[in-house]
Amino acid sequence: MAIDRNQDRRPDPDALLALSAQENRGHLWVFLGAAPGVGKTYAMLQRARASKLDGVDVVIGLVETHGRAETQALIDGLEILPRKTIVLEGRSVEEFDLDGALKRKPKLIIVDELAHTNAPESRHPKRWQDVEELLDAKIDVWTALNIQHLESLADVVARITGVVVRETVPDTVLRDANDIVLVDITSHELIRRLKEGKVYLPETAKKAQQNFFTLRNLTALRELALRRTAARVDDEMIEQLRQGAVQGPWETAERLLVCVGPDLLSQEVVRVASRLATGLNAGWVAVTVERLDASTNLESAKRLDEIFRLAKRLGGEVTRLMGNDVPAELLKYAQQENITQIVVGRSFAGFWKRLQGRSLSDALVRRAEQIGIHVIPGTASPDKPRKLRLRLGGLATGLIAAPLSVAGAVIAGQSLNFWLKLPNVSMIFLIAVLFCAVRFGLRSAILASFLSFLAYDFFFIEPLYRFTIDEPHEFFALLIFLGVAILVGWQTGAARDQSQFARENARNTLSIFELSRKLSGAVELSEILDAATVYAQKTLMARCVIMLLPQDDHLELAAAWPPVDALDAGEISASRWAFEKGEAAGWKTGTLPSVRFQFRPLVTTRGVVGVCGLQPADESQAILPSQERALALILEQTAIAVDRAILVKHSVHAVALEENEKLRTVLLASLSHDLRTPLASITGAVTTLQQFGESMPPAQSRDLLNSIEEEAGRLSRFIANLLDMSRIEAGALRPKKDFFEIGEIVFSATERTRKVFPSLEISTSLAPQLPLVRGDAHLLGQVLFNLLDNAQKYGGGGKVSIHARLVAHHVRLSVTDEGAGLKPADLERVFEKFYQGGRPDGRKAGTGLGLSICRGLVEAMGGKIWAESPAARRRGTRIIIELPLANALPVKEAP
Amino acid sequence: MTGLRILVVDDEPQIHRFLTAALEASGYVVLRAETGAAALHQIANAAPDLVVLDLGLPDMDGKEVLAKARNFTKVPVIILSAREREAEKIAALDLGADDYVEKPFAVGELLARMRAALRHKNSGELEKTRVESRGLVVDMDKRLVTKDGTSLKLTPREYDLLCVLAKNAGRVVTHSHILTAVWGPAHKEDTQYLRVFIGQLRAKIESGNSDKPFIQTETGIGYRFMLDA
Repeated sequence: MAIDRNQDRRPDPDALLALSAQENRGHLWVFLGAAPGVGKTYAMLQRARASKLDGVDVVIGLVETHGRAETQALIDGLEILPRKTIVLEGRSVEEFDLDGALKRKPKLIIVDELAHTNAPESRHPKRWQDVEELLDAKIDVWTALNIQHLESLADVVARITGVVVRETVPDTVLRDANDIVLVDITSHELIRRLKEGKVYLPETAKKAQQNFFTLRNLTALRELALRRTAARVDDEMIEQLRQGAVQGPWETAERLLVCVGPDLLSQEVVRVASRLATGLNAGWVAVTVERLDASTNLESAKRLDEIFRLAKRLGGEVTRLMGNDVPAELLKYAQQENITQIVVGRSFAGFWKRLQGRSLSDALVRRAEQIGIHVIPGTASPDKPRKLRLRLGGLATGLIAAPLSVAGAVIAGQSLNFWLKLPNVSMIFLIAVLFCAVRFGLRSAILASFLSFLAYDFFFIEPLYRFTIDEPHEFFALLIFLGVAILVGWQTGAARDQSQFARENARNTLSIFELSRKLSGAVELSEILDAATVYAQKTLMARCVIMLLPQDDHLELAAAWPPVDALDAGEISASRWAFEKGEAAGWKTGTLPSVRFQFRPLVTTRGVVGVCGLQPADESQAILPSQERALALILEQTAIAVDRAILVKHSVHAVALEENEKLRTVLLASLSHDLRTPLASITGAVTTLQQFGESMPPAQSRDLLNSIEEEAGRLSRFIANLLDMSRIEAGALRPKKDFFEIGEIVFSATERTRKVFPSLEISTSLAPQLPLVRGDAHLLGQVLFNLLDNAQKYGGGGKVSIHARLVAHHVRLSVTDEGAGLKPADLERVFEKFYQGGRPDGRKAGTGLGLSICRGLVEAMGGKIWAESPAARRRGTRIIIELPLANALPVKEAP
Repeated sequence: MTGLRILVVDDEPQIHRFLTAALEASGYVVLRAETGAAALHQIANAAPDLVVLDLGLPDMDGKEVLAKARNFTKVPVIILSAREREAEKIAALDLGADDYVEKPFAVGELLARMRAALRHKNSGELEKTRVESRGLVVDMDKRLVTKDGTSLKLTPREYDLLCVLAKNAGRVVTHSHILTAVWGPAHKEDTQYLRVFIGQLRAKIESGNSDKPFIQTETGIGYRFMLDA
């Protein structure tokens, strides 16, 4: 690779990529100093003023002047962002206003004291996280940092100065900064300034700080700052060489692997490794190997979690490997990843293994090829007592079972010996060892082997009841027995542990399978979310799990188990963050860690579809790797299912839209036909009369005038229908609640129909003394007219009869024609909007509005309407209207 | 008007009502059909001199009637159609309809279109070689175009274009018809050529009287060379 690159002398793609990624972010300048008082803020402000003069949009996000006049003078004339006031336990604290800065969105913002810890309840616990967000928003940031606050140097500084640094900034922040400006004065100068009172120190910390500002300390810190800057300048040159494809011996290609575990030493190992990597200008990765046969306990998972987070802060990568042979797994990984050096802590091995010379560091040294091994001796005392206690807790039953089963074997052997002389009693002890191996695992089996060895010697080998042996061959038999017992116990125990692990795995797989089956079976979004929530809560043993989905412009609580009513403001903003950034937020994350929940985005290939919130049973617990894996699987499965449900919903929506579109097309076609035909007739007749009126026989011109009148009537009926329809659709129909007589309405509707269709024969038969009906007489008249119009169109031009009678608190009104009738399937469909039945003469049907309007009007009056066919003698259609009687109507005033 | 027989095909009785009155008053003999099948039967048996065909018929599409009729007759056909159905009109014209009228229409307009179509039919057999309209003369024998006695200088393309329109004087000629005739079948879709050349041609022959242009645009469909009406 390296040779190729040099040959065509192309710029390194990785380097260019990194460059372009940087261009999508704001630029970060860090003003680095050895100690407070070296003049970082002053230098930063001076440059800011210069930039302002150059026309750059500079805003001061936060600068502490500490009342120093010369610094204050520099601020005057620069725009200052108002600070946010947070009230905390009665005290008000002023903090940097991140949201204000994002809203103001200047080109360049100045935010002092990068290592500052924000007030609790802030979005990010640390100011450097605020700065990251500003950079993401493409705002350039200038900030100041003292070298002692750098994470990887924290322990060095503590050692040199005796002051423990609590506020630290991850090395990655400094590493990713676009530029570092070193602000440097000599240590003597600084001490002089301190004595002159030019260095601000808070009153409370004065004494501690006085001890800190010694010549020795300051010189050491200054050296650290200078070295760090020099290393950085070196890196930059290499970066430039790579981007410019300049040939040179810049390829260090060193890559470090750091072995970590849940022990205390690992933390130190990580810090040392990070410094080593910085010195070598090498990348590094912290690796842990999880044993397949060991169940992880919570305590160590938590510690490992902390170590991994430290490694990330220090700029390393982290990886978990799985396997039983730890050194082999590590070396395999090292080979794959082109690791050149391995860093390992010396005590990283159990006492037993170290006794055998099989500690990890020893094994690595023995087995590594072409890889350098650094062994860190470590100063932290190994956490022995606790470890032992833990192990005892886990093994107690197994270790008690071993002597008991050996005792059992002794009794069995003795009694058997009493009855018949067994040639080889050792077999019975093997059974005891096997029993322990199968029931309680490896350690119990090995203990049982040794106990059996002693018991066999004591009880069955001459001289009896003594641990001495007379015959040399007996001694060898005993040794062989021990060997066999250990071997058998070992194998069986290991097999048992493995099978237990396999069972657990199978159980996990099965339960994940169960979930995915449930999820794939669920169609409704709510079903999916409920299933996933309940499952996640059970699997992760969380106090509560919730699911949130985007709704308009906020996240809506879509499912929760156990049920939750509402989220508080902090939880809402953390969930929003997780949704918008696609990163975890809340508990144990860098964003709003004080929130009870941890929010994880539900990510699919199409983006973030929702957020899952998880409230741990105990705030201080760690998420175990196995839980982490389960959670990742659950989130993935849920995200896919949610995505699918959303897609299904969309497609249903699309079908509905399409249906709507079809309706619209039908409406348009109907409109154009029903409006145009009368218009064409009217225009044609009028123009004919204009042109030939005088030369035409009077009968013909009268006929044309009649046709104009008829067509105008047709047009007006059609428009009235359309208006009715739109009023029904818009819900603007407000039927009057008058009392009226059915007979009256029937009479006026028939009259009206007779005028329009003189050829139609209408017969009416009304039951005598029908009670009054309450409703809208005009609307009912319209309904009857529409029905008669239909009867004329589809009834074959024959007879129509109208009946009205009383049926159990209802007036039943029917209109029956003698046409061909309706197909059973059409009985309901004829009331649908724009449904057009065929006309008997094959001509185009009407608008498909008439009956649907009838239904709308009748229902608005509280009645019912339906169709029956055939009506009589296998012919005809009967439309029936049932209206409630005046006294049967619920007494309800029209609004 | 000498008893020419006109077949009116429409499913709306109201249309027949006034068309019959108007056509009879103009001296035509009116035949009527309300379905496509009846129309084809009448065209085949009664041999009308012109057909007025509504495109929306209950039993078959008007275009289908036209296509079938064109298999056995060259009778002039005038289409009745709605304004927004341009594609339908173009298809009908390309199928061999002679002209179209948009519903609703004034009877006078229909009668004028009918006269143009009938005139064209009568002179159709002889290739027209000289077209004259309001002082503009297109003499295809001499390849000469004059306006009010002065000859106009046209490019060969402009001349071809004018000839296609003049030969069909009074009738609408679709874009694709013109493009195929002047530029060849490969350019059937290139209406932008047409717009440019029509623009040039208009600049040379039109006298600036925008009320009565020689070349009238039939929006979305084609162009029509107007004879003095």
